[in-house]
Amino acid sequence: MSTEKLALTTNSGARKPASAGGASTALAADLTRALGPRKVLSNLSERLNYRYDAIQFGATPLAVVLPESTEDVVAAVRAARAAGVPIVGRGAASGLSGGAAPLEPGLVISFTRMTRLSIHPERREATAQAGVVTLAVTEAAKPHGLIYPPDPASFRTSTIGGNLAENAGGPMCFKYGVSGDYVRALEFVDVDGELHRLTRDVFDLAGLLIGSEGTLGLITEATLRLIPPPKFTRTLMAHFPEVGACAEAVSRAIAAGAVPSKLEFMDRACTNAVEDYLHLGLPRDAEAVLLVDTDGEDLDTVQDELRLVEEACVASGGTVRRAATDEEGALLWRARRSVSPALGRIRPQRMNEDIVVPRSALPDVVREIRALGDASPFPVVQFGHIGDGNLHPNILFDPRREDAHAVHDLAHRIALVAIRHGGVLSGEHGIGSMKRDFMRDAVDPETLAALRGVKRALDSSGALNPGKILPAEEVMVDG
Amino acid sequence: MNNEIPVQTLGGQGEVMAHAVDACVHCGFCLPACPTYALLGDEMDSPRGRIVLMKEVLEGGLPLADAAPHLDRCLGCQACVTACPSGVPYGELITAFRGWSEPQRQRSAFDRSKRWAILKALPAPKLFSVAARVGQFAKPLAPVLPAALRGPLDLLPETVPAMQPSPKVTPARGVQRGRVAFLVGCAQQALAPNFNAATLRVLARNGIEVVIPDGQGCCGAAALHTGARDEALKLVRANLDAFHPDDFDAILSNAAGCGAGLKEYPMVLHGEPDEARAKAFAAKVMDISEYLNTLLQHGELEPPVPASRPLTVAYHDACHLAHAQGVRAAPRALLRAIPGVTVLEVPEGDLCCGSAGTYNLEQPELAGQLGARKAKNILSTTPDLIASGNIGCHTQIQSHVRRQGSPTPVLHTIEILDRAYRGEL
Ligand SMILES: Cc1cc2nc3c(=O)[nH]c(=O)nc-3n(C[C@H](O)[C@H](O)[C@H](O)COP(=O)(O)OP(=O)(O)OC[C@H]3O[C@@H](n4cnc5c(N)ncnc54)[C@H](O)[C@@H]3O)c2cc1C
Ligand code: SF4
Ligand code: SF4
Repeated sequence: MSTEKLALTTNSGARKPASAGGASTALAADLTRALGPRKVLSNLSERLNYRYDAIQFGATPLAVVLPESTEDVVAAVRAARAAGVPIVGRGAASGLSGGAAPLEPGLVISFTRMTRLSIHPERREATAQAGVVTLAVTEAAKPHGLIYPPDPASFRTSTIGGNLAENAGGPMCFKYGVSGDYVRALEFVDVDGELHRLTRDVFDLAGLLIGSEGTLGLITEATLRLIPPPKFTRTLMAHFPEVGACAEAVSRAIAAGAVPSKLEFMDRACTNAVEDYLHLGLPRDAEAVLLVDTDGEDLDTVQDELRLVEEACVASGGTVRRAATDEEGALLWRARRSVSPALGRIRPQRMNEDIVVPRSALPDVVREIRALGDASPFPVVQFGHIGDGNLHPNILFDPRREDAHAVHDLAHRIALVAIRHGGVLSGEHGIGSMKRDFMRDAVDPETLAALRGVKRALDSSGALNPGKILPAEEVMVDG
Repeated sequence: MNNEIPVQTLGGQGEVMAHAVDACVHCGFCLPACPTYALLGDEMDSPRGRIVLMKEVLEGGLPLADAAPHLDRCLGCQACVTACPSGVPYGELITAFRGWSEPQRQRSAFDRSKRWAILKALPAPKLFSVAARVGQFAKPLAPVLPAALRGPLDLLPETVPAMQPSPKVTPARGVQRGRVAFLVGCAQQALAPNFNAATLRVLARNGIEVVIPDGQGCCGAAALHTGARDEALKLVRANLDAFHPDDFDAILSNAAGCGAGLKEYPMVLHGEPDEARAKAFAAKVMDISEYLNTLLQHGELEPPVPASRPLTVAYHDACHLAHAQGVRAAPRALLRAIPGVTVLEVPEGDLCCGSAGTYNLEQPELAGQLGARKAKNILSTTPDLIASGNIGCHTQIQSHVRRQGSPTPVLHTIEILDRAYRGEL
């Protein structure tokens, strides 16, 4: 099955590898010998459940391992290598680029039981195994007066391992940075089953692993930096009669000197999908809604900054509402975090983009994508961490009634808008298999060759998460 | 989620199931809400995983027997429904699926007779009361019995109270403000007759006439959720015949599980001739706390007598109230309406206590772990009283709280209100 077809289907076509039965039981038997039966899944009913992430279904794995320690991971990798099968790491499978969905039958290592977590307040550090749920880090740190800022919308579900493999961002990333910025050290298992511990001195090899989507090594543990929470936070919501105006307001506010901690945008379809779920009284008629937090140590400064944002919004034709209480602010943020899955209410499936463009280009980009959407038969919605220039245009569709190729084509055209305006293909969700084929448009051949060189250096056999990120090498034709 | 469920061959329930599968975008937001995922940490025992398993079985790609162990572990608590932003009606999916799949299940003779006994005893208060008494005698034998039999015995309270028949009509006291029909429930009548007695007293005190219509029976939820669809349909139709929604302001239940069951009637009868009748019926169904809270919100609730000393009440959200019916605020508001009462929130409050209908009987191991976890969480708030609005939670929590050595009383929300009215709080 072509990647393109795979990328757009959640159907069962890829589920039964023709002759995997024998290979599956042999591998499972080896793994069970090494790890004991509780950690190895080999029944079809179990394996079927490890072939998808939040966007895509892939091939049914031959076996699944649920390690409880780094040693278990080492043993599992060695068994898979001996059997010559590919290895796919998996966290909570909330990924939106097909990263954790295997493209060919092999071993899936699912980290959900590696949940050991310790907080070291004196060093402002947390040590987390790969399967620790992101929210758990902040919750454990709070009693010590610390927080872990990276906050992808999926933070109640997604794991630290998955976050680091995707270098996940979140609303906080505008001011506080993304997941990778909080890593002091990493422990990982390489493709041969060797264990490594990396700090970020000299060669930043940890940095290489971050954002590598499980294609260079399997992260088993991370040492994360924690910070004290800002003393004061203020929230406002602004709504606009036109999407480009919202993007203008953002540029204006930042140009005026505001450094909000969060700046999030959702368009009309998003607002309505969330309103259907949470019934908060969001402005259903507005074409764009902007959510903003300012925070800091000094209340006056925090409020001054909020005022700067408010003025920028008004100057761009927006209507502003300040959150009266912390609870109201929290509810508004819950609304924002629910956008992505709430879109399921409109169409059962979506093609999800994750572009980043220079902030100055935002108004044009948002408008151009709006126009592409309006001219297409599909609902196209946009939201994102707009402060960073990060946008998630989503094409919503019904695979039973609508043409998958047309969806893919539209996605490609949207990606090209970003590239034309000096942007990139992925801000935080990764390339995975969904955007792999657009890499040729986004990255020049020399850089692509360098990326391939890195991959070969760390995974010469190509066993780690094959088929992700890097498009297949073109066959050179003479003449 | 894209699927090829052969809806044509599955009828009305097929549509219900296919719609739920369709709506799931496999985002995984429901995972942290799921009690079995919290305990087992694997995808098959998560809501998303179960949806995929049901889809595969319905499509014919996976034998039912392979999926069954994971589906059987589902408590039906619907915490995943609350957590799901895409609006997937998981509760309807699993209920319909259980009804569809049960006739195809191969169960051992022992399992079958156990299920038969449960299904016969639950809807028949008298039979249940007798069974419960027999169970009392068996209790000392518990340590030597197999786990499958120990579960049900654990559930029984220390003493089984005598049955108290409820009056057919309870007149309003003072000026009559309303007229409601009341579903008396089944197991509850045998295990906790005071829930109903308190309910009638509180309603009468508030000027509400309460009618207990003849011919009503079990709501059918237990049968439905264990997959005995034919059995359930008989009970559902009997209730549709017994209750005439036009005659009443509301049809009340004081057991969260039963109330949720009554509200499900339109789904059960989807695509069948009785669907319209079921809709009219379900539109009138309310939990007792919802009904009383509307009085409270209109300033019409008879003010309760202040508690004799400051009291803290840990309120436990029954899954079938909070998740299945979306009733969270009303019981808390009623408790807070009693001067002197402070309502405490329980850590991990959204996690099921493990009782969930017949779960204790079918999955004693997991039910026990959840029960212990719930009791620990509740006791961590050091409350004076524990309140909940469901008989199943009540017995489960009481048994685990006692096991952890605490004498804290466990009461129905309405019992606390009743005590306040009688100046006994
Ligand atoms: C509703 C919704 C909202 C989202 N919002 C955001 C957002 O705001 N910001 C954002 O950045 N992302 C967001 N995401 C995407 C997703 O949640 C993130 O990419 C997240 O980091 C994935 O974590 P996970 O544990 O689910 O990883 P998975 O999806 O399981 O895996 C993701 C990738 O990491 C690899 N991987 C997983 N664990 C390991 C490991 N231990 N070692 C090596 N490789 C590993 C996998 O092979 C895969 O390539 C959202 C997703 C959803 C469904
Ligand atoms: S939260 Fe809803 S849409 Fe997401 S996986 Fe769970 S059931 Fe499906
Ligand atoms: S109903 Fe409860 S136990 Fe069942 S899948 Fe949903 S959350 Fe899990």
